Amino acid sequence: MASIIKETQSIKEAVTYINTIDVNKLSRLLSRILQKLHLKGERSFSEEEEEKLQSALSLEKHALHLVLETISFILEQAVYHNVKVASLKQQLENIHLTPDKAEAFCQVWTTTGPDVIEKIRQGIFAPKKLEHIGWQLNLQMGQSTQAKLKAPHTVLDLGVREEDGGESLQHVFVGFNHQELLEFYNKLEMIQAQLDSLT
Amino acid sequence: MSSSHSKTSSSVMSDHIGFLGGRIPTEIEIMSKHLKDLDKESFRKMLKVVVNGIEGKNCNEAMKSIAESSALSEEKLSHVVAGMYVLLKEALRLPVSSLKQEAFKEDLRELRISEDFITDFASVVFGNRRTTLETAAIQQGPRLPGLEEFRWRVDVAISTSSLARALQPSILMQMKLSDGNIHRFEVPVSKFQELRYNVALILKEMNDLEKRSILKIQD
Repeated sequence: MASIIKETQSIKEAVTYINTIDVNKLSRLLSRILQKLHLKGERSFSEEEEEKLQSALSLEKHALHLVLETISFILEQAVYHNVKVASLKQQLENIHLTPDKAEAFCQVWTTTGPDVIEKIRQGIFAPKKLEHIGWQLNLQMGQSTQAKLKAPHTVLDLGVREEDGGESLQHVFVGFNHQELLEFYNKLEMIQAQLDSLT
Repeated sequence: MSSSHSKTSSSVMSDHIGFLGGRIPTEIEIMSKHLKDLDKESFRKMLKVVVNGIEGKNCNEAMKSIAESSALSEEKLSHVVAGMYVLLKEALRLPVSSLKQEAFKEDLRELRISEDFITDFASVVFGNRRTTLETAAIQQGPRLPGLEEFRWRVDVAISTSSLARALQPSILMQMKLSDGNIHRFEVPVSKFQELRYNVALILKEMNDLEKRSILKIQD
């Protein structure tokens, strides 16, 4: 595989800092960054945490930022190309990371990488996404125009979340009688057949 | 029970309550008085208009032409129409299994409605039109918005800014509801499976319920 990480000036600088970090601390750092990688627009560490990190890793503010950004970049590249662990190790050694640090990357990649890739794969782009499915089955016994009915009805509650809708779900309630629900189910079966044909 | 109405339901009806209940609706009582002044042809015309009205059709024009050609005063006409409407509505509320044709006719005889008119009323309630009228009644009931139109699309994401090879299918659904609202949303494959499973489950529950209700909840 072609190089996914170019050894630029700032990478070089970052690598020298990373090589000074204690390998256990580095492992924890990597694991945290990788786990948060799929959360769009969220920082891996809060400002407060970054201050603590500065003293724990004995790095200047600027150096810490460079280290965090570089680690994120390397892991994002690894995700993007879905690299094999052997290839990742090779790439890291090419940019002169010491073998024990490269090993720390590889370990976290082996344990958490597949999960993160799957999460990112699931994170389809959509302004609105179906998130909750609820239903209620009713037996209608009568109504103003009809007595002594025995008609089953169902109400589907489709909870749709907007991308920036925050906590609240938009609920779409749809009523079905038996026949209508059967027709809806037949359409879902068509979609299923379409999905089956993909694999 | 109101004493003013006990007269009509005293002797014969004392041990029997007809389909109109113990207290005859005022509209029907007033109508039964005016029916005597109505010839058979006008009666049929009016009945037809009322039936169309119950089916949800617009009857303004038909009503107007009856009012213009009829010998009856407009006030009496409105009383008759109102009475016919209430009478048919009440009769159609009950399933055929609980209101038999003979019982219906008997109840109308007690209101002193003439035999010809009774036959016409009965042919509306128990005749060919019944199914149409029942369907209209069900549709006029209150209900939540239903699914009017359902469109879908299956997409496969080939690559994204975070993944060179995503190959992830997803479903875009568009639902147009009967209240006119359109909802468009993405359904991840795992959610789709959940939806499909739940709809199948409800169908099964409905089947069970229908079997059970036939056996246990008898009228």
